[in-house]
Amino acid sequence: MAEALVIRNLSRRFGGLRAVQDVSFAVNECETVALIGPNGAGKTTSFNLITGHCRPDAGSVLAFGRELVGLRPHEICAHGLARTFQVARPFGKMTVLANVMTGAFLRDRRLEIARQQAREAIDFVGLAAKEHTPARELTTIDQRRLELARALATQPRLLLLDEVMAGLNPAEIDQAVALVKKLSQRGLTIVIVEHVMRAIMAVARHIVVLDHGQKIAEGNPREVVANPDVIRAYLGTGYAEPTAAGESHC
Amino acid sequence: MRRFVSQGGFWVGALAVIAVALPLLVSSTFAIDIFIRILLFAFIGVAWNLMGGYAKQLSLGHAAYFGLGAYTSTILLIRYGVSPWIGMLAGGIVAMLASLPIGALCFRLRGPYFAIATIATAQVLMLLFLKFRDFAWGAEGTTMPNLGDAPLMMQFDSKAPYYYVVLVLLAVGLAITYWIERSWMGYYLVAVGEDEDAAEAIGVDTLRIKRNIYLISAFLTALAGTFYVQYIYFIDPNTAFSFNVSVEAALVSIVGGIGTLWGPVIGTVLLEATSALLQSWLGGGHGGVQLTVYSLILIAVILYRPAGLIGILTAAYDRVIAGTKRVNKVSLDG
Amino acid sequence: MPMLTTIAQAVVNGLLIGGIYALVSIGVTLIFGVVKIVNFAQGEFVMIGMYISFFLATTFGIDPLIALVISMLALFFIGVLLQHFLIRRVLALGDMPQIFLTFALSLLLVNIALLLFTANYRTVQTAYSETAIHVGAINVPLAKLIAFAVAMLLSGLLWMFLHGTDLGKAMRAASQNRDVAMLMGINPDRVYCVAVGVALALAGAAGSLLMPFYPAYPLVGQNFVLMAFVAVVLGTLGNITGALIASLMMGVAESLGIQFVGADSGLIVVFGMLLLTLALRPNGLFGGWSR
Repeated sequence: MAEALVIRNLSRRFGGLRAVQDVSFAVNECETVALIGPNGAGKTTSFNLITGHCRPDAGSVLAFGRELVGLRPHEICAHGLARTFQVARPFGKMTVLANVMTGAFLRDRRLEIARQQAREAIDFVGLAAKEHTPARELTTIDQRRLELARALATQPRLLLLDEVMAGLNPAEIDQAVALVKKLSQRGLTIVIVEHVMRAIMAVARHIVVLDHGQKIAEGNPREVVANPDVIRAYLGTGYAEPTAAGESHC
Repeated sequence: MRRFVSQGGFWVGALAVIAVALPLLVSSTFAIDIFIRILLFAFIGVAWNLMGGYAKQLSLGHAAYFGLGAYTSTILLIRYGVSPWIGMLAGGIVAMLASLPIGALCFRLRGPYFAIATIATAQVLMLLFLKFRDFAWGAEGTTMPNLGDAPLMMQFDSKAPYYYVVLVLLAVGLAITYWIERSWMGYYLVAVGEDEDAAEAIGVDTLRIKRNIYLISAFLTALAGTFYVQYIYFIDPNTAFSFNVSVEAALVSIVGGIGTLWGPVIGTVLLEATSALLQSWLGGGHGGVQLTVYSLILIAVILYRPAGLIGILTAAYDRVIAGTKRVNKVSLDG
Repeated sequence: MPMLTTIAQAVVNGLLIGGIYALVSIGVTLIFGVVKIVNFAQGEFVMIGMYISFFLATTFGIDPLIALVISMLALFFIGVLLQHFLIRRVLALGDMPQIFLTFALSLLLVNIALLLFTANYRTVQTAYSETAIHVGAINVPLAKLIAFAVAMLLSGLLWMFLHGTDLGKAMRAASQNRDVAMLMGINPDRVYCVAVGVALALAGAAGSLLMPFYPAYPLVGQNFVLMAFVAVVLGTLGNITGALIASLMMGVAESLGIQFVGADSGLIVVFGMLLLTLALRPNGLFGGWSR
């Protein structure tokens, strides 16, 4: 299978803080990969580096065969990478429909086409009823849906989701997981940053673990959950002794 | 009947009829002069609003383009005998060219610092033109040659033609704004104004959008500059690059309704009307009263109606004419 | 006069006035760093400081250096009121209202001054207005030297305040992360009031220090505020030491420009510095990391 995204030796520091250190991993097409790690591990920074919002000090990002480092965010988006932000950033003054249309214009500048594409994305995330609501009046969860719809309107090949499940109740998590699975079935490659283990286990076949900016583990969910380094990173030394083999709480 | 009257188009049409008929109904040249000023500053406001209102690039140095337009057409007229109609377009082009390097540097700054950089730009241009003696008459400036009634040279012997010229300019400005507002560019502009980074993330080339809207805004402002010096038959650096022009360009949009089609027009009408009232109350000679009142109005608007006064007017319109109660005015509704 | 002496004289002149620029730009930086708002009206508070000193001098014969204390206190008080009643109301509204609020304030103050005091220049002559010290071939006007010295002293005191006192540290904390500061029990409004008060007090001090050698008139603040803003950008937004150093540099650059290019080239030189910095180091001379 072809590789959609290849990260090699990605590094970035902010003053004395090495936010991302020499991180390398690859994502195959149509795969869903989870990027996990304790807070401050460098997950969102990695996203920022991949999408061009931040320049890496070193390393390369190859997406669908093209080097992304040095490109501006909008070029990267045009190339097929879309992302959502950890804290949703809707265009408050505009309605839901207008927000998503703005995303759709990337592919076709005609009003009618863009409106159509936008409506499809809005339907997909379940916001059809609130099409004409000003974005600033949406609930946090709906703003997240909007964020996703807007990203989908750019017709990405690779989607980067930054903690879309934070603060959702179990029913909502299930809904979100269903959406992500549907996207994957449509052929989208997905990299998802998450803390909600249940969601990760449900969607990801492959997990990359970061801690303090470095990759400390990689593998399928079972392997990663039992990995002593991973346990140590989350819970501290003292919990790293292997538990009953293969046990997981998800 | 109610539904007919509530169509926005009806009111625009009515307004247009009144606007066209005005000079025929009013004979006082003093009044026509006020109307001309209102239309001119509304036009300058509309030009500013494209950039400052929709894309939130708050320039306080638009006088730079006003002056460049004014000087280009005047130099072409006096030194080369070129008609100001052509000079006006040339001025627009000069302004567009100037906006490129100015934008390239200033756009690196965000928010207030962008504003400061634009102020400095206009100031520097003023200083340069104060120095250019041979080329551009230096500090004393110059008067326009009096050609009598010369429509082809943008000179008329009565006020009415000037009124119509600036009315057309305003109409063009409004038409451009209307068209942009409803196109993909309008959405991109508002996106950039709301959240540049988020806009970039969904494929908006923010630098290019800012540059393009700056080109348009500078072009239109330059046209106003040419018109103004033709109207007052005089040009000098202090008038052409006057900070007051920069301020009023922004002021009328903010007071009237930033980022809206009619905002600048409403703002200008309000501010100029206030100004005219003040003048008739106090007579002239009280330097500072006008701006004191303007700044008080501005502060009041910012504290109580940051979206501008247009909100009050649309609410009134909705309630009285259309019989509805529009709840949340959004700038773009799909 | 030999070239070296001319240059040295220009540098000295530049440094001395740079001290005043520093007071104004530190005030702007302080407000920006803590309250996150750019005070377009900072120059007008210098103007107010000047008029206060002028009236105290002409009515009561008080020397501007003593009036300094009064104008600093008065402006501190004005600053607290400004933050509490005006700035606080626009903090949540975003860039545009904030810019235009202080901008409108600036317009308002200039024009009220115009109405009250007319555009006439007001000057104050003190015992030392004309005195100069001679260091070798260099002529150092005493009034400017005192202004510089006091400016540096006040800057030093501010640094000690920010690093040595609890309130100062609270201000620095609030400037770095308002929410966390609140969680630590710091009252942001109180901190903001003090920040604005101190910033305006510095402007008032600048005004008093200027009086012995600079005329007061309604638009006087505009000269200083443009310089101050460029210094703030040059010195990196929010960096007080940076603002100080940048101000001194700009004073020198302006002075050299006036000496060697022409009398009204000051602004062009300064703007040139701004452009150069923007082109080469967009985050200011002491800029942190870029994007």
